[in-house]
Amino acid sequence: MSKALVVLKREYVEVVRKKSFIIMTLLFPFLMAALMFVPTLLMMKGIQGKRVVVVDGTGKLQDAFGTHPTDVPPASRPASKAGRELAKQAEGPQAAKVAELTTEYVAASGDAKSAAQPYLDRLRENDDTRARLDGVLVIPSDAFTDASAKLVYYSRAASDIMTQERLAGMVNHALARGRLAGRGIDAADADRLLKRLDLESVQLSKSGKEKKGGELSFLVGFIFAALLLFPTMIHGQEVMRGIVQEKTERVIEILISSMPSFDLLSGKVAGLALVGLTQVGAWLAMGGAMAVYSGGAAMVAGVNVFQYVDLRVIPWFFVFFLLGYLTFVCIYAVGGAISNSEKEAQQFMGPIMMVAMVPWMLAFPILQNPESTLATVLSLIPVFTPITMFMRIIVSEPPMWQVGLSIALSVATIYVFFWMTAKIFRIGILSYGKRPSPAELWRWLKVA
Amino acid sequence: MSADAVLWVREVTKTFGQVRAVDRLSFAVARGTITGLLGRNGAGKTTTLRMINGIFLPDAGVIELLGAADAAAVRDRIGYLPEERGLYRKMRVLDQLLFLAEIKGQRPAVARVRAEAWLKRFDLWDKRAGKLEELSKGNQQKVQLIGALLHDPEVVILDEPMSGLDPINVVLVRNILKELKAEGRTILLSTHMMGEAEKLVDEIVLIHEGRAVLAGELEQVRASFGSNTVHLVFEGDGAFLAGLPGVAAARVDTNAAELRLAPGADAQAVLTAAVAKVRISRFEIAAPSLEEIFIDRVGAGAPERRPAEVTV
Repeated sequence: MSKALVVLKREYVEVVRKKSFIIMTLLFPFLMAALMFVPTLLMMKGIQGKRVVVVDGTGKLQDAFGTHPTDVPPASRPASKAGRELAKQAEGPQAAKVAELTTEYVAASGDAKSAAQPYLDRLRENDDTRARLDGVLVIPSDAFTDASAKLVYYSRAASDIMTQERLAGMVNHALARGRLAGRGIDAADADRLLKRLDLESVQLSKSGKEKKGGELSFLVGFIFAALLLFPTMIHGQEVMRGIVQEKTERVIEILISSMPSFDLLSGKVAGLALVGLTQVGAWLAMGGAMAVYSGGAAMVAGVNVFQYVDLRVIPWFFVFFLLGYLTFVCIYAVGGAISNSEKEAQQFMGPIMMVAMVPWMLAFPILQNPESTLATVLSLIPVFTPITMFMRIIVSEPPMWQVGLSIALSVATIYVFFWMTAKIFRIGILSYGKRPSPAELWRWLKVA
Repeated sequence: MSADAVLWVREVTKTFGQVRAVDRLSFAVARGTITGLLGRNGAGKTTTLRMINGIFLPDAGVIELLGAADAAAVRDRIGYLPEERGLYRKMRVLDQLLFLAEIKGQRPAVARVRAEAWLKRFDLWDKRAGKLEELSKGNQQKVQLIGALLHDPEVVILDEPMSGLDPINVVLVRNILKELKAEGRTILLSTHMMGEAEKLVDEIVLIHEGRAVLAGELEQVRASFGSNTVHLVFEGDGAFLAGLPGVAAARVDTNAAELRLAPGADAQAVLTAAVAKVRISRFEIAAPSLEEIFIDRVGAGAPERRPAEVTV
């Protein structure tokens, strides 16, 4: 058996047999699900129970607000971008429940602010013995006449954008109806005039296939980017730690005197690649099983991820996973080769992780505008290529030449890093003592 | 040195920063012998062994091992035991041994049979499934030694093989090394324990500050120092022995002394003087011990060289 294979076998078996690996592999999908869905669930829950007092200074908007749960007209859909994003996540089978916003209407001709005072006090005190109040909306008396009049929403949590958006929508709809009524248009006509249409997003592909639910691609892109990133971060550090340990424990002397450093490094890297593949393979299988057998679990959160994944991206996933993974495994290996202790190695982890995180931190703009200059450029910069390009593939269809170029660039990057690592490995790994200066590193690269 | 040398070290130099760890060192190791590389801490023993194993490249000079100028060409025929533990702490004992054998090109099935035999001989068979870090230091050293021997090497290079072993295990390892020699293998070991070397080695290479200061067959080396040394074992306070007339140099321990006589001095006179003050249980006129030679050559006053910035 080739010596690289012997090393590969050892690396693989030793990692896969570890309890931490098994636990991480089994738990990660659940952690991920919790991270993604729990906030959404909590948010939807938060929206359900809102009680808002509407103090109407105009005294003419009673129709729009009852004491009963308000049936929200389409016009009251959030108008702002942030509000739409939130509403989007909340939609799904539970969307109907989102409408449960209870308003209590108080007509106050004249000084709306003073009429609202008792409610504001109640809101401030947050007295448990009385019905809970989440907010007070004050409509100024000149709402119909003064275009610069402001609706004021008092609440204990100013960040409740969704409720604000919904209330603003409801008031504006009612105001528009009122203004139209003033011009002699009856209520039914006004509603028809003000009717807003829903928007459905459809992703077109060159193959002519239509895919609905594009807004969920966003979530899917996020999840897959995480799948690409996390094993890299976990096991990449493992490579670094492993190398440093071999150095501090002097196993390296045995290894180096038994095989060429190239065999040692390729065995190590390939072994860890196999570890990573095993892990994401297990995650995908678990995700798939979850989607197939207990679709219900995912449905609770209102999202069935796999329904929105074009299965043809799976091979791409493995391609870009390997490319991204190997890139960072090699970078971490360099870090390990030039460090003499775990403490020293620790200093490299932060910066390397930051670099690895860049596409993830930019996931929002990339997924929203996969054809933008930012996304295109980032997907063609080595190191960032794999994750960025894969995110683009999930939400759009980048030109084939770009995909090909990104793969070629990644392979070249890995080759260069591997070559560098092998050289530094051969020399750096045995230089017990001070960490090499950049100048020394450069000398090492030129020699050997 | 015979032409049948398995190892030639010629004019080898290795410098770390400002420190010349090995300085134009030359020696040879004959086939089928046990050669001891002796020297103080920091003398350059470990650096030399690492260069022989191809772990470090010499800055200058040539190392020829089993007829090859590059250790890489013959590495599967070499067994190496590094100075400090060179094993994976978290790996199980048997797995570790199989790994070590396989990276030396041994087939797994053969390695398994041999590992079992060795583990049993070293009384470690029960511990084969445990992690290395669970073993005592001495047991770890035994595992390390098995690792160096599993692939049936022609040349065995051992850096401080006895370190951490208790007396029983020292005897066991010594016997094993003698068996290996009887099988025709060549052994090169480093040590700073002269007493141990004396019982084991055929040839010595004494190095000091990176240079060979003395080399050759142990008995010849000792004879060359002449039979002018008195070995005494006694009961009582022997402090006076160093001051006796005719004693040129003395090393007096609690119950033993080694006295080098001045030229022309009479050993009998020394004995008579000694008997007057202490009870003598042994008196011998012989060649000096290796320890005496070592101290004579290397000098007790010579500063120990252990550079701070590099471990050599």
